[in-house]
Amino acid sequence: MSTGVLLPPGAPFAPDQIAALNGVFGNSTGEQRAWLSGFLAGVVAASGGGARLAAPPAPPKARVPLTILFGTESGNSEALAQRARRAAAKLGFAVKLADMADTTPARMAAVPNLMLIVATWGEGDPPQRAVDFHEALLAAGAPRFEKTRFAVLSLGDRAYVQFCEIGRQMDERLAALGGARIVDRVDCDLDFETAAASWIDSTLDRIAKESTETVMAVEEAVTADFGAAETWTRANPFAGEIGEHARLTGSRSISDTRHLEISLEGSGIAYEPGDALGIVPRNDPELVDAVLKAAGLAGEASLRDALRDRFDITTLTAKQAADHAALAGTTAPAADWVVGRQVIDLLEAAPHKFSPQQLTTLLRPLPPRYYSIASSRKSVGEEAHLLVAGVRYEAHGRARAGVASIDMNERRKSGDKLDVFLRPNPHFRLPADPSRPIVMIGPGTGVAPFRGFLQEREATGAKGKNWLVFGHRNFMHDFLYQLEWQDWIKEGLLTRLDVAFSRDQPEKRYVQHALWDARDELTGWVKDGAALYVCGDMAAMAKDVHEMLTNILSKEQLDQLRRDGRYLRDVY
Amino acid sequence: MNEIRPLSANEGIKTRSNFLRGTIAEGLTIPETGAIADDDQQVTKFHGIYLQDDRDLRAERGRQRMEKAFIFMARMRVPSGLLTPAQYLAADKMARERGNGTLRFTTRQTIQFHGILKRNLRPLIQGLAQEMLDTIAACGDVNRNVCAAVVPWRRAGHAAVTKTAEDIANHLLPHSRAWHEIWLGEERVAGGPEDVEPIYGRTYLPRKFKIGVALPPYNDVDAFAQDLSFVAIEKRGKIVGYDVIAGGGMGMTHGERETYPRSGSVLGHCKPDQVPEVAEMVVTMQRDHGDRSNRKAARLKYTIDRMGLDAFIAGVNERLSVKLEKAKGFVFETTGDRLGWSEDETGLHHVTLYIENGRVGGAMRDALRDIAALNIGRFIITANQNLALSDIPAAEKDRIAGLLKKHGLDGQPGGLRRNAVACVALPTCGLALAESERFLPSLVTLLEAELAAVGLAEHEIAIRMTGCPNGCARPYMSEIGLVGRSPGLYNLYLGGAHDGTRLSKLHAIDVDGDAIVANLKPLFADYAKDRKKNESFGDYVIRAGVVARTNNGLDFHDNLSAALTVWPEI
Repeated sequence: MSTGVLLPPGAPFAPDQIAALNGVFGNSTGEQRAWLSGFLAGVVAASGGGARLAAPPAPPKARVPLTILFGTESGNSEALAQRARRAAAKLGFAVKLADMADTTPARMAAVPNLMLIVATWGEGDPPQRAVDFHEALLAAGAPRFEKTRFAVLSLGDRAYVQFCEIGRQMDERLAALGGARIVDRVDCDLDFETAAASWIDSTLDRIAKESTETVMAVEEAVTADFGAAETWTRANPFAGEIGEHARLTGSRSISDTRHLEISLEGSGIAYEPGDALGIVPRNDPELVDAVLKAAGLAGEASLRDALRDRFDITTLTAKQAADHAALAGTTAPAADWVVGRQVIDLLEAAPHKFSPQQLTTLLRPLPPRYYSIASSRKSVGEEAHLLVAGVRYEAHGRARAGVASIDMNERRKSGDKLDVFLRPNPHFRLPADPSRPIVMIGPGTGVAPFRGFLQEREATGAKGKNWLVFGHRNFMHDFLYQLEWQDWIKEGLLTRLDVAFSRDQPEKRYVQHALWDARDELTGWVKDGAALYVCGDMAAMAKDVHEMLTNILSKEQLDQLRRDGRYLRDVY
Repeated sequence: MNEIRPLSANEGIKTRSNFLRGTIAEGLTIPETGAIADDDQQVTKFHGIYLQDDRDLRAERGRQRMEKAFIFMARMRVPSGLLTPAQYLAADKMARERGNGTLRFTTRQTIQFHGILKRNLRPLIQGLAQEMLDTIAACGDVNRNVCAAVVPWRRAGHAAVTKTAEDIANHLLPHSRAWHEIWLGEERVAGGPEDVEPIYGRTYLPRKFKIGVALPPYNDVDAFAQDLSFVAIEKRGKIVGYDVIAGGGMGMTHGERETYPRSGSVLGHCKPDQVPEVAEMVVTMQRDHGDRSNRKAARLKYTIDRMGLDAFIAGVNERLSVKLEKAKGFVFETTGDRLGWSEDETGLHHVTLYIENGRVGGAMRDALRDIAALNIGRFIITANQNLALSDIPAAEKDRIAGLLKKHGLDGQPGGLRRNAVACVALPTCGLALAESERFLPSLVTLLEAELAAVGLAEHEIAIRMTGCPNGCARPYMSEIGLVGRSPGLYNLYLGGAHDGTRLSKLHAIDVDGDAIVANLKPLFADYAKDRKKNESFGDYVIRAGVVARTNNGLDFHDNLSAALTVWPEI
C-alpha cells in the first residue's frame, strides 16, 4: 500500500535508481522501513561516515561462502568463532557459523571453505558436545572432503600431555579425507589470543585471495550479541568490590569453601544463570619472592608486580623445562618430571642466574580462572555470588596453593576489589520452557550454578519442578547453603533433594549412588520431560555420574537427551 | 485440691505417638536436615535415642548457613552391664563406623554412642542387633536400664543379683514393636492385634524410672539414689530375699526449692521370686499416682512425699499378692568399685579396670578391642563407669594381665580419682550449664596434690560432678559434689556418705576451679589431723560442723550455713 513516502527528485541517485527505490519504498510496510532505516544507520556507523554512500559499489558478484565450525567446552572456541565470523562478515564473506553439537561431517563435506576451531579437553578428549561429530569424522565411513578447503585452529593447555590432540586429529583427518589445507594448523596454549587473531586474519586473507568469487567490504549492522558485557575482558577486567566474604564449611571441615559476593554495579555485566565469571587473580607474593630468589634475581618492584599480576609462576610444561635447560645449559629433565611440579621446582632443581627478560620469556601469561556464578541477577541485583573452594595440597615435598582460590579466599577481604569479566556459558542455561522439570546434579562447588538456577526460577515464578542432587564429604561440616535449600523445600520451589556424603559412613557414598537409589523417580522425571544438568569435577565426578545415568537410562536415551539439549554439563 | 491442671506436653506426645512410633520412620528419610520433628525427639528417647547438637559448634553455624550441628546419642539396654566379648566388639565397631569413634560407659552400666548422624542411626542399631543388643527403653518415661552390683568375685551372689536384674528388665520391657519396626524394618502385621502395654498403658510413666539391685556391703549401684532398689539379704551365703527401697532420685532445678534430690526410703522386704511383681506394683503405683502435669514434680520421690510413705507402702501392698515383710536391714561400705584382680569361689579370675569418666577412645579403645577379640570371659560395665573383665580362666590370667600392662590399663589411680564420676555434659548434652567430663580430671589433679600434701593420697573420697542439676552422676550422693551453674561455675556440696546412704548439703555457691580447691584445701588439712579412725570425709565434715546433716530430700535445702542463708537466685 502506497503511503506517499517517496524519494524527492533531488535525492543523490540516478533517475532510474530513484524510480527503483520508490518502487520498493512505496509498497513497504512501516516495519520494513524501520528495518531498512536501522540497517542503513548501522552501515553508516560501522564504516565511520557516509563517504562510501556517495559512490555505491558495483553490483556484486556471488560472495565467497565460508563456514566457521567450532567445538567448544569452556566457550573459548565459540568466542573465537564469533570473532572470526565478525571479521569475515566485515570482509564481505557469506559466512555461516556451525556448532559441532548441531551438525555432522556429511553436512560439512559439502562446504567449500571451512574454518574449524576446536578445543581439547582433559586428557586429550573432545569437548563433550562435540563427541558425536568427532566420532563420526574419525569413523571408517566418514564422508570425503574433496570439495572442501579447510583450516584448523586448535585450543588446548600445554600443562596436559595430550596437548591440542583433538585439533591435530581433525586436521589430519580432513586432509586424509581429501580436504585441501588452506593454512597450517595453529596449536594454541592458554594464551591463545594473539595466535588465534593472527590465524583468523591470515586464513581469511588466503581464502579471499584464492577465491574466484568477490569479497565485498561491508560490515554487518551492530547486533545485540555484542553488548556492553563485551567491554570487560580478561585484558580489561572490571574491578568489582567484594561484599560478603564468608566461610560456608564448618571449622572442622577439610575443605575451606567460601561464599563471595562481588558487586557488578556500574559494569553493565548482564550474566545469566549458568554463566561463569572470569577472575584475574594475583599470584602469592611469597611465591613471587621465592621464584625471584631461585632465578637469582633481586626483584625490582616492577618485575615483582609483573610476576604477581601477569605471569603464570606455577604451571610447568615440558616445553618450559626444555627452554630452561637451553638457557641454563643443563640437560632437560625427562618429560614426566614436570608432572605435578611447578616453575619453582624447576628453578630450584637446576639453579641458574637469569636476566629479568629471560625469566619472563620463560613464563607463560597468567591465565584467568572461571567460576560458575552462584546467583541470579533477578534475585540479587547487580552482583554475582561465587562459591570458592580453597585448593591446598602437597606435591613433591612442597605445599601448593591454588592461585585464584587462595587469592580470593585468603588474601582478599570484604571491601577489596576483584578483577572480573563475564564468560557466557550459552550451553548451560535453564530450559526456555519455564514449566520443564530440571534435575541438577552438583556436588561440592558444582552446586553453584544451581543456586543461581533456583534463584532465577523463584524470581520468575517458573512452574517447573526442581530436583537437586548434592554431595560432599561430611553432612555436618560441608552442607553448602543447607539453610537455603531447606527454605526452598519449605516454599515448594525445590521439589526434591537427594544428598550423598562420602565420609560419613564406612562405605563411600557419592552422588551417583544417590541417583541409583532414586532411579525409578529419575526415570519418571525424564519421561516427564526433565532436563538433566551436571556441574563439577570431570575426573572425580562427572564421568561416574555419566556412567550411572547411562545405567539408569540407557546410552541411546542419554545420547538423545544430549542431542535434544536436555543433558547439559558444565564440568572442569 | 480439685483444681484440674493441664497435662504436660509430653503426655499428649505419648498419647499421639501410637505406642512410640510417632513419625520417626518418615523423619529419618528427610535428607535436608540432621534433625527430626520436635515431637519425635521425645518419642525416640523411649528407643534409647536423643537428638543433640554439638554445642562447641553452635556459634559458627549461623554464619555458615547451616543448621545446628545435629547429632544423636544412642544408649544401649544392657541389664547389669553384662556383655559378651562379641557384643563388646559390635559396640566398638559401631562406635568407630557410625559414631564419633568413642564409647561412653555410663552410671547406668550401659554404653552410649555419641555424634551419630541421622543417616547412621539405623545402621548403628542394626549393627548392635546382630549381636542381640538393643536400645529399647534406655531413656524415656519407662523403666530404664536395670543396674546390678558388679561383684564377680562373689560368683554365686553376682549370678543371683544379675538374674534378678534381668527378670526385672524383662518384666518391665515395653511390649510395643515400634523399635523393631523403625530401626530393624520389621513389617507391621496388617490387621494384626492392637498394641497393648499391660503394665505401662499407652502413656507409659509420668517420668523416667530407675531400678538397681545391690549386694551388701557393696553399694556400687547407689541403691538410695534409684527410684527403686532391691538390696540382697543373705543367710549363710545364700540370698534369701531383698529389702526394698523406693523414692531415691537426684534431679532438681536450680532456684526451685520444691525440687530436690531425695535418698530412697525403705519399703519392706520380699522373697526373691516376688521381685518382678514388687517392681511392677511400685511402677504401677507411680503410673497411677505420679504427677502428669508438672514434669519437675513427676518422679516417684515426689509421689511418695506427696502421698506420705505409709500411704504409699499401703498402696503397694494392696496391689501385691503377698504383702511386703518388715525390712531385714543391711550395711553398706562403699559406693566405689574394687579395682584390680580378684578370684571367685570357683577359681575364675576377674579384673576391674579404671576408666576415667567411662570414656573409651584412642589407644585404650584399640586395646580393649584386642582383648575382646580373644573372646575370653565377659565384659561388665560398672555403675562407676568402669569396666570389669570377668570369668577369666586361670590359664588365661597371665595373658590378659600382660595385655593390660602392655597397654597401661592396669594402673591404679589415687583414692580421689578412682572414686571420681563425671557426667558427659558439654559439648553434646543439651542440658549442660557447665563442663563436666572435660573438666573433672584436671580438677582432680589439683585436689590430689592437696590431698598428697596432707598424706591422704590413697585415701578414698568420692567426688562427683555434673554439668547441670539433673544429677546423672549422682553428685548429691557423694562426699564432694559439684553441680554446674554456668560456664566455669559450680555449686559445691559436702557431707554425702561414703557408703551412699546420705545426701550432701550445699556448701558454696558459684565457685570456679580455683575456689573449689581453696574451699577444700583447709578441710583436707583438718580432716587429715582430726579424723577419727575409719571416719569418712563425708562424715567428718558433718561432725566438724562444716555442713549440717541432710536426713532425706525434704531437708536438703534447709540448715544451710549462715553464709548461704539467702537462697541463690537464678
